Amino acid sequence: MKQGVLLAVFAAVLGAQVSYDEILKGPAENWLTYSGDFASQRYSTLRQIDRGNVKSLVPQWIQHLDGARQLETTPLVFDGVMYVTNTNEVYALDAKTGRRIWHYRAVGVSENRVNRGVALLGDRLFFCTSDAHLVALQRTTGNVLWDRPYVFTKGGNFTTAAPLVANGLVVVGVGGGGSGRRGFVAALDAVTGEERWRFWTVPSKDDPAAKTWAAFPLDWGGAPTWTSGSFDPELNLLYWPSGNPWPDFYGADRPGDNLYSDCMLALDIATGKLRWYFQYTPHDTHDWDANEMPVLVDQFFQGRMRKLLIQANRNGFYYVLDRTNGEFLLAKRFVERLNWASGVDAKGRPIEVPHMEPTSGGNRACPSVRGATNWVSPSYNPETKMLYVVVLEQCDIYSSSSKPPKPMSGFHGTGAEQIADEPGHFFLRAIAAESGEMVWQFPMPGPATNWAGTLATAGGLVFSGDDGGDLVALDAKTGRDLWHFYMGHTLTASPMTYSVGGKQYVTIAAESDIVTFALFEPQKD
Amino acid sequence: MSFADFGLCHYASGFLAAFLAVSFLAAQDDAKTTNPASAAAQDSHTAPPPALIDAGRKLFQNSCSACHGPSGGGGHGPSLVEGDRIRSLSDAQLFQSIQKGVPGTDMPPSSFSEAQIQQVAAFVRSLSAPAIESTVPGDPEAGRSLFVGKAGCGSCHMIRGEGGFLGPDLSDAGVRLTLGQMRESLLQPDKRIANGFQGMTVVTQAGERIQGIAKNQDNYSVQLLDKQGRLHLLAKTDLKMIELSDHSLMPNDFGTRLSAGEIENILSYLSGQSVRQKETK
Repeated sequence: MKQGVLLAVFAAVLGAQVSYDEILKGPAENWLTYSGDFASQRYSTLRQIDRGNVKSLVPQWIQHLDGARQLETTPLVFDGVMYVTNTNEVYALDAKTGRRIWHYRAVGVSENRVNRGVALLGDRLFFCTSDAHLVALQRTTGNVLWDRPYVFTKGGNFTTAAPLVANGLVVVGVGGGGSGRRGFVAALDAVTGEERWRFWTVPSKDDPAAKTWAAFPLDWGGAPTWTSGSFDPELNLLYWPSGNPWPDFYGADRPGDNLYSDCMLALDIATGKLRWYFQYTPHDTHDWDANEMPVLVDQFFQGRMRKLLIQANRNGFYYVLDRTNGEFLLAKRFVERLNWASGVDAKGRPIEVPHMEPTSGGNRACPSVRGATNWVSPSYNPETKMLYVVVLEQCDIYSSSSKPPKPMSGFHGTGAEQIADEPGHFFLRAIAAESGEMVWQFPMPGPATNWAGTLATAGGLVFSGDDGGDLVALDAKTGRDLWHFYMGHTLTASPMTYSVGGKQYVTIAAESDIVTFALFEPQKD
Repeated sequence: MSFADFGLCHYASGFLAAFLAVSFLAAQDDAKTTNPASAAAQDSHTAPPPALIDAGRKLFQNSCSACHGPSGGGGHGPSLVEGDRIRSLSDAQLFQSIQKGVPGTDMPPSSFSEAQIQQVAAFVRSLSAPAIESTVPGDPEAGRSLFVGKAGCGSCHMIRGEGGFLGPDLSDAGVRLTLGQMRESLLQPDKRIANGFQGMTVVTQAGERIQGIAKNQDNYSVQLLDKQGRLHLLAKTDLKMIELSDHSLMPNDFGTRLSAGEIENILSYLSGQSVRQKETK
């Protein structure tokens, strides 16, 4: 018996707990939270795959998830086991071979939405069903421990996001703003599932922020929280973005800024109290949710080391905030097709161009309703200090209806339509985090149907999916195209990386499959 | 080899636990995801009247059994009993599948009248009706006592976090299994082997012996959950011996060890198990 084999055997024995300290370390061998780390940088310190050898990346395994379509899951990996989700389902896979260890499907779920992933803590795994139940499973077996609903109204609400574990709490958001359902962020106890706090993204009538809605019924304000958030364990602040007010495209019945829609919310993790907020798009009538991932970075800004929160927003501007207090520091457009605002003022409020609102006859505005970017995750490399974000250059014709808004009727105040002779184009852009300047871009010819996120690694690489269905590896400094592999599908998920037994892997969900790559090595006899 | 020394589960009878995949599993593990857009319909139907089911049975046996088997257990066509293939279809989807067939499969359109389709649909529905919709004459509280006590079920089966893990989780037994599947698993545990719970012993090249249940095995790898609940992800090249049991860990003497009334009590308890219905108000 060779010693190496012995070690390999013992290394494969699992049963360790996912400790909070381990999650705090950020992505290396393991990838323990949706964004890899609490800062949502999606930056892995693994460097076995680098600019020099990435051309040798080859497929290792494919796991097909029965019945899956347009998977958006980011896999989590702990000690050689990968956890992926499909609609109302979780699979545990052997991360080295792709083989299935267990499968859980929730029974009796009243919604069927995409699902973006799970959270881990201790011997537990947490995921959200489409109809907004938080389910705790035993991590090694998939046995269900409890199933707690966190929405108590019938219909309209749903969940697609991965929950976030922080300070012994499991934090969840909710979708349903398009039906008018009032958004919230809620924290449930990781042991018992009991609710600890809830922050409503549309204020109650006693809150001074209610004035920003005039007489609009606050129960139907929308402002959903349908993506995950970020967390600063030193400041004990949770950063969670909110979506657009309802009705999406008709704002006359809700004059005012419509707080806290389209905001970054900084919540005290212990209490859920609002510490500060920043509203990107006041009185939104273009469905420009702020549900893009907030990325927390500590770096120099104008000569001073600062704790920053950066976000490429769906409204077309890249923003830098001081995450200790919400102070606005910088905004810069990151798309050419942006005509609704001429800039952003010193306080961070957009300087709106008149007459860009949706009209009954239709009005051209940019970005498109899909946004300059969207929920797909950007990544940040602390060495290059660049944010890597997938961008859509597109305009739409926005129409509105003055019909009285009827909640839960499928009414959005009308909508937006793409312009036949102005096709959209995707790019992967590298934005200098401090200045907001574009450093390089990687064009993506194709049908403009891509929604892949990005992954940055210490190997000097950025992984993403392009609009032609290729998984690509680019040079993080220059954007040079170093490797690609055609996945056969439109990519709608973010790639991630992990390591087992000293070997680095890169994984992405593609349509109905989980596909994993590593450097080529000859098969052993 | 013998599993006499296995010591994984301790049944009160002292029964020598033999391994077998427990058929309870079937419903959990073969859950081929059906059309996601349809699962919302799971709770929407109620048990059809017996006369409709009987009429449907006759039609089914004449026209459908060649592919699906006389009792719907599957043959050339898929099983209509196991898993949630039927349960996840809405009434309209089931009707349409029978009337027009299933595109892309060998399931052809039928020449049934609309009334006949309703009858066949009622019979097909009845094949996979979850146990929670059935009336079981036992006492669920007495069943719970047996489950955690004399019958020893809880040493291998978990319900909402309490119990063992070497048998399938039964937290949702009432909504995942039919009463027939439950009864068969309890009284004839060796009849069906389901994935993920087959007993396995391996010896590594270093001589370490690991016993547990095979969550998966293929030509090149083994994923084994041992009796301490640790997962072992092993390459077959690292193993010098692999042995799978063709017997169940589930005792096969419940039919004699428990009275008929006790069996009904256990079934009554299990048929009421549903995580959502227990926890959601």
